[in-house]
Amino acid sequence: MEPILTIRDLTKSFGTHKVLQGVALDVHAGDVVSLIGASGSGKTTLLRCVDLLEQFDAGEIRLDGELMGYRLKDGRRLRLSGRELARQRSRMGMVFQSYNLFPHLTALRNVMLGLTKVRRLPASEARGIAEYWLDRVGLANRRDYYPSAISGGQQQRVAIARALAMEPRLLLLDEVTSALDPELVQEVLLTIRSLAEAGTTMLIVTHEMRFARQVSTRTVFMDHGAIVEEGDPAIILGKPNSRRLREFLSSMSN
Amino acid sequence: MQSFLDVLALSSDQLLHGLTITVVVSGVAVAAGIVLGALFGLALTYGSAVLAFPVRVIVDVVRGTPVLVLILACFYMPAGIGLSPGPLTAGALALTVFCASHIGETLRGALLAIPLAQTDAASAIGLTFAQTLGYVLVPQAIRQIAPNLVNTAVEIVKASSLLSAIGVGELLLTTQEIIGRSFKTMEFYALAGGIYLAINLLIATGGSWLERRYRLR
Amino acid sequence: MGYALDFAAVLRGLDQLLWGLALGLIMGLAGLAVGSAIGIVAALAHVFGPQPARTVVRLYVGLIRNVPILVLALFAFFALPQFGIQFSNITTFAAVLAVYAGAYLTESFRAAMITVPQGILDAGRSIGLTGSGVALWVVLPIALRNALPSVGNNFISLFKDTSIAAVIAVPELTFQARKINNESFRVIEVWLTASFLYVGTCALIALTLRRLEARFPKF
Repeated sequence: MEPILTIRDLTKSFGTHKVLQGVALDVHAGDVVSLIGASGSGKTTLLRCVDLLEQFDAGEIRLDGELMGYRLKDGRRLRLSGRELARQRSRMGMVFQSYNLFPHLTALRNVMLGLTKVRRLPASEARGIAEYWLDRVGLANRRDYYPSAISGGQQQRVAIARALAMEPRLLLLDEVTSALDPELVQEVLLTIRSLAEAGTTMLIVTHEMRFARQVSTRTVFMDHGAIVEEGDPAIILGKPNSRRLREFLSSMSN
Repeated sequence: MQSFLDVLALSSDQLLHGLTITVVVSGVAVAAGIVLGALFGLALTYGSAVLAFPVRVIVDVVRGTPVLVLILACFYMPAGIGLSPGPLTAGALALTVFCASHIGETLRGALLAIPLAQTDAASAIGLTFAQTLGYVLVPQAIRQIAPNLVNTAVEIVKASSLLSAIGVGELLLTTQEIIGRSFKTMEFYALAGGIYLAINLLIATGGSWLERRYRLR
Repeated sequence: MGYALDFAAVLRGLDQLLWGLALGLIMGLAGLAVGSAIGIVAALAHVFGPQPARTVVRLYVGLIRNVPILVLALFAFFALPQFGIQFSNITTFAAVLAVYAGAYLTESFRAAMITVPQGILDAGRSIGLTGSGVALWVVLPIALRNALPSVGNNFISLFKDTSIAAVIAVPELTFQARKINNESFRVIEVWLTASFLYVGTCALIALTLRRLEARFPKF
């Protein structure tokens, strides 16, 4: 079966600092890939490159075989137009560490915006879909609340609903529990777990090792912009091969 | 019919004189306004009620009144008590009070924005209030209000054009006199606009140079 | 001293003063409405537009903010008829006020736009909005609300600037006050009254704005 996402030789620098050095990764339908590693290892940058929020210097990203972000002309890479990039982004969902809900819109309107303005659905249909997804994340009763009036955990679940309502091929989650108070982490993790059980394809950057082990079908460990180890979470988190992963895991358990 | 350049050549001395008055009256108003405004700001922030209240009234009334009304009031009102200050003095006074009120209010905001811990720290090392003010609070406040000072100076230069309404022979009135003789209306208004623009850009450039020079930002 | 306050002449002219005040408010509101439209478009062009658009906006703002409004008004007064535009003094001044306010409001809206956090923009892009979609559906509504205090302050300044219309014989408050001044020589009473009317109106506007701001949440 063809993977949904293929990444090959992905390279990116900020100035002289190499953030990504030849990353290669496949994500198949139904995969839940957890991306772990110390801060500054390039996980978030990788995710943002996949969602085309960052440009990359070399290599390629394909979604369902389609080249993302660039087209090739006479062997040269040309950045796609804003409209093309927007179309490609709409096929992936992204959930951010700091929720990033639209502050001027209610929970329902947050979820509806992409449906009405990107997919151009009529408002009534968009409302139905938005209500369905808010219900899925357990927030049917918070639909008319503004982001500032609900908890961080609830905001993050609205953000998940907002991403899912666009029916993305792939859901990208960037440290979605890192900004939450400890007592609010669980509700968000439970939501993600239920999505995993429903077969949603996800690429998850996380610091929650236990969660990574329980939910993901595969774990990828990154260090200094490169993938060092990957495999079944129970195996690589239980018996890490590399010294760097052992060091990372022991620093996390402290 | 004379060309614009002919008229300009003939009236350049007159124009220069008007420009000088604009620059001098604005300069005086800004300089005096800074001194008076500093006093206003200190009175508003640290003054007793007896001192702060009248200053508050002055500052609020001046800030709520259009500059042109201030100018006309300074020009006409003294006659009521038998004084006749003349347009230039009245105009300079109006601009000074206008400038001082804005600076006073800005300074108060800046002083209040400095954390109390700064005052505590100053007392802890044994500074008197006056020393605290001079060495700790005012230097920090100046950094805060530096961009505001530049804006206020620009506003004063622009407001000085209103002195033409009471017969001060500054740049705009001079321009109008030249237009009255030559009928080169749009050309000379455009020229006057250009000169004001140049003065204000000079102020802005000078202001940001000073800010960089003294690392205010 | 020997000056006894006597408000009789001013009171006789109170009708004119109040009509003058109303005219000032109307010109101010017209200037604010048209100026806001200019400001929003120019701010969008500056924040989201291509380089030439940014340059045009920067020139417009830099020019208008550094030239006295009276010079702009006098220029327009003589320039507009050259283009076949015959406006009354009132309309001419209101038009100048709009262009003048537009420059200041451009800065207000621009400041409100560029302070929308990058994460919110990323969120807009990640659901597939184009650049103009993000500008229109995400940045603009947030900026409009957050610019409200600054727009309010601009309106107060604008209302005070309407006094300058007196110089081109628009019969607003300052013009009427000067007329009463010249006819009655009640020099102290008339300017006290004019100043009181301006200060009172500005305070009322400020109060109304604060209520309005309190009603809408800031983002």
